[in-house]
Amino acid sequence: MSARRYQDRARPPNLRSEDYVSGQVYRDDGVFRDELDTVLGKVWHFACHVSEVPEPGDYRTFLHALQPLFVIRGEDEKLRCFFNTCPQCGARLLGDGAGTAARLRCVRHPGQFDWSGRVVASAQSEDNAESDVLSAAPRLREIHAETKNGLVFVNLDDAAQPLDAFLGQGLEIFDGVFGDDGVEYEVFHFHRATVKANWKAWQETIVDLYHEFMHVVLRTTQMTAAPMSARDMRVYPNGHLAIGGLKADYDNYKGYSARDGSAAFPGLTVDDARFTPLFPDTTIITRGTVMRIDTVTPLDPHRTIVESRGLGIKGEPEADRLMRMRHHNDYWGPFGRNVPEDAFAAEACEKSFGKGAGRYQIIARDEGGRGQDDLMLRAYYKAWSEMTGRLAHSPGNT
Amino acid sequence: MENSAGTRQTLPEMPDTHVVSGAVYTDKAIFEDEKRRVFGQCWHLACHESELGEAYDYRTFDYIGTPLIAIRGGDGVVRTFMNVCSHRGAKIIQEPSGNAKRLTCFYHLWSYDDRGNCVDIPRPEAYESSGLKKDDCGLFEVRTETHLGLVFINLDDKAPPVADYIGAALDPFADSLGSGELEVFHYNRAILHANWKAWQETNLDLYHEWMHVLLRRTQVGEGSMNTRVVKSFENGHTMGGGLKASYDKYKGMAARDPGMALPGLGPDDFFFVDLWPNAALLARGTAIRIDVVTPIDEKTMLVEWRGLGLKGDSADVRRTRMQHHNQYWGPFGRNVPEDAFAAEACELGFRHGAATRQLIAREEGGKGQDDGMLRAWYAEWARRMGRSPANPTNAIAPD
Amino acid sequence: MALDAEDFTAFIDLCSTEFDYRITVYSPEIRKEMIWLDQDYEGMRALLEMVPQHLKRLGTLKRHVSVYIIDHDATAAIATVTSSFIVTHTDPDGVSQLFVAGTYYDEVDCRGDRYLLKRRRAHLETRDLGIGSHIPI
Ligand code: FES
Ligand code: FES
Ligand SMILES: [Fe+2]
Ligand SMILES: [Fe+2]
Repeated sequence: MSARRYQDRARPPNLRSEDYVSGQVYRDDGVFRDELDTVLGKVWHFACHVSEVPEPGDYRTFLHALQPLFVIRGEDEKLRCFFNTCPQCGARLLGDGAGTAARLRCVRHPGQFDWSGRVVASAQSEDNAESDVLSAAPRLREIHAETKNGLVFVNLDDAAQPLDAFLGQGLEIFDGVFGDDGVEYEVFHFHRATVKANWKAWQETIVDLYHEFMHVVLRTTQMTAAPMSARDMRVYPNGHLAIGGLKADYDNYKGYSARDGSAAFPGLTVDDARFTPLFPDTTIITRGTVMRIDTVTPLDPHRTIVESRGLGIKGEPEADRLMRMRHHNDYWGPFGRNVPEDAFAAEACEKSFGKGAGRYQIIARDEGGRGQDDLMLRAYYKAWSEMTGRLAHSPGNT
Repeated sequence: MENSAGTRQTLPEMPDTHVVSGAVYTDKAIFEDEKRRVFGQCWHLACHESELGEAYDYRTFDYIGTPLIAIRGGDGVVRTFMNVCSHRGAKIIQEPSGNAKRLTCFYHLWSYDDRGNCVDIPRPEAYESSGLKKDDCGLFEVRTETHLGLVFINLDDKAPPVADYIGAALDPFADSLGSGELEVFHYNRAILHANWKAWQETNLDLYHEWMHVLLRRTQVGEGSMNTRVVKSFENGHTMGGGLKASYDKYKGMAARDPGMALPGLGPDDFFFVDLWPNAALLARGTAIRIDVVTPIDEKTMLVEWRGLGLKGDSADVRRTRMQHHNQYWGPFGRNVPEDAFAAEACELGFRHGAATRQLIAREEGGKGQDDGMLRAWYAEWARRMGRSPANPTNAIAPD
Repeated sequence: MALDAEDFTAFIDLCSTEFDYRITVYSPEIRKEMIWLDQDYEGMRALLEMVPQHLKRLGTLKRHVSVYIIDHDATAAIATVTSSFIVTHTDPDGVSQLFVAGTYYDEVDCRGDRYLLKRRRAHLETRDLGIGSHIPI
């Protein structure tokens, strides 16, 4: 008899503690608050791509760790990140997702700020930019912003280590792609969705290689295109992960066709697939001709914003761009073959963990860092445990 | 003022058995206790066996936040499992019903059989070093028993058998439900915005016939208040019986053809049994209705309605039965939308404490419109919960 | 429009005396097609006449219909019309929500001096109707 008794469902699996995760990490309010403070509040978070804010005054707003933020390019070309709230009254400053503004106006008061966060007009003194009142007035609250390979990262922690130290070698599998041979990328696709699941359940759909079985497209194009033993998983300090050595036979899926060799990004062949989940909430994925960048942003333990970007080469001919859009959306668009399946999976896990029915998940696969090893999931939760000070298999215990 | 804000909180001079405090509907701690002491321990009517007619037919449903799946095994036995994958916890089967020898999780294709055994793990070699065994990965099984064709589950492995729990309460349905000839022809479900008990009360409160135009016309004046019987059984089950209906007294309805009556029922009979805590079975000559209410939280519930007829019904008879059933009980019928209206209206009264209590004080010697069913229901609630319905925020007995 | 306004006489006036009305819905739970309302002309008339006496959902329903296909039979006596509909509910506070979505399969009698609704099948996609409705869709 190997069905188990309902009464025994709280009993932990008979495995090493690193081989399973408690469902509490998805539903406990205390865990969630700790994640905001000790994980999301401390890490470098991917905010946007430089191509989204090309000109001085261009801004991009977003939410991170429940904080409304925006990145703006200054007249000095520098990218800065501020809280999207007026320091005097707390009202939101920028209402839309992106735009260009010479001045940032508070919706409630005549307060105005420039791209450096400096007050240039205030309720007390409307037009005298040099007055004492203005120099004494609070500036916009600024947080760290740094750029690497065209990727803009921000950090809520004033005492954060530099971005390079945080990333370490985390982007190495993209060395040739982001190399210095002059290729400039730009975002051509952006899509955001609210998923009814814990934010980590989304990140897991990327970190978990074993779930290729769920995707018809991956079963046909990926699982047999290269040997499992050619896959190469890497774990870096700070919880960053990477996998290379994946290949795809695109013409194995009905309606797809093999990619044209000349369309690949530098450093890649058309049938290469590589990805880097950057801890804890970002992933960069390439498939020969396309690159996707995902971020997950929790709203509460049970709801998550997923943002997905697609990148092409700046200035490329229209035909190439159209081809890239097609390739991107075949897999990854909201009407594509893969991403809706991942969202489905994340929500199906929420249905069991969200109210406490599911108690544990098993992440015990060992294939020596190849194939469909759960190594990356274990590394993700190890980093999570280190940052939160809670044990992923028993998060009530610190 | 007679009933000013100052005096509003004072309960009327009445025995505790005749008063229910609004806190039973609104208090979160009481609701958490109900999940444990009521829904965690009582038999719950999950479905009718005709919904699992063939081997490997399954039905999925949620019960107190737990996704479950009931499946008829190859051996004909209905079993229930948590519909949660042992691997990474995904809800395995999403469809409300189907037929499958293997329950295969969509995520990584782990498979389970009709006994809940984990029978397939793709590329299992990778688990060798961890010591994970397929045998340790079975689904969690929930106790399941069938009684008079009704499939019941119980989250408490130690609860007494369902037949003992029900006792004599379903005797009035022995001929109909016990015939083995019934099948479900109607199913609908709705989320209602009220505490779950407010729905159950619509099936316990005889006095509210006044609300239903249909019952005022067809029922209140029929038979005699004196021939009605309000009964209670062990474990809080109750019954209202001896009612009669003259269907032709409502415009657009016709008297029921005796030839269509279900086994053991007269065409104008009406009686109902409430199974504690959350089910009601109602018989009206030509159709049976089964209600099950499941809380989602203390202010939201799921109500499921089923209609039963004979398996052997001809198409014409079935159509008429549906008509009879739905005239009263369908979502476009005359009665059920009114009961749902009433349940939600009471919720509005109690939610923020505008109403603080309700009276269940009618006494007619167990006849007429006696509140005896409501009192018996709350007496059982008091016993299970260790709280007095009149003053429920003070628990009177620890576990 | 007549149903939206709860002007039931006007609605009945648009129906032929052969009127045959059903609300149908499929339940994946019990895997059966169901008929939730099944009325002929007289039945519909009686049902609508009684509506004002009932305790019913507060607020108003509003039907939005898009005609997809119109087909005449050979004699052009009967037209079959397939339309998609959604019904919104607006509560007394003015909050609107989608109540139900479905398809009408209608037969219109074109023989007389005006068109009369002879048959209506309202097939619902929506199955959770909250407290339900005394007024047909
Ligand atoms: S979660 Fe079900 S097979 Fe992985
Ligand atoms: S008359 Fe019974 S609740 Fe108002
Ligand atoms: Fe995926
Ligand atoms: Fe009622």
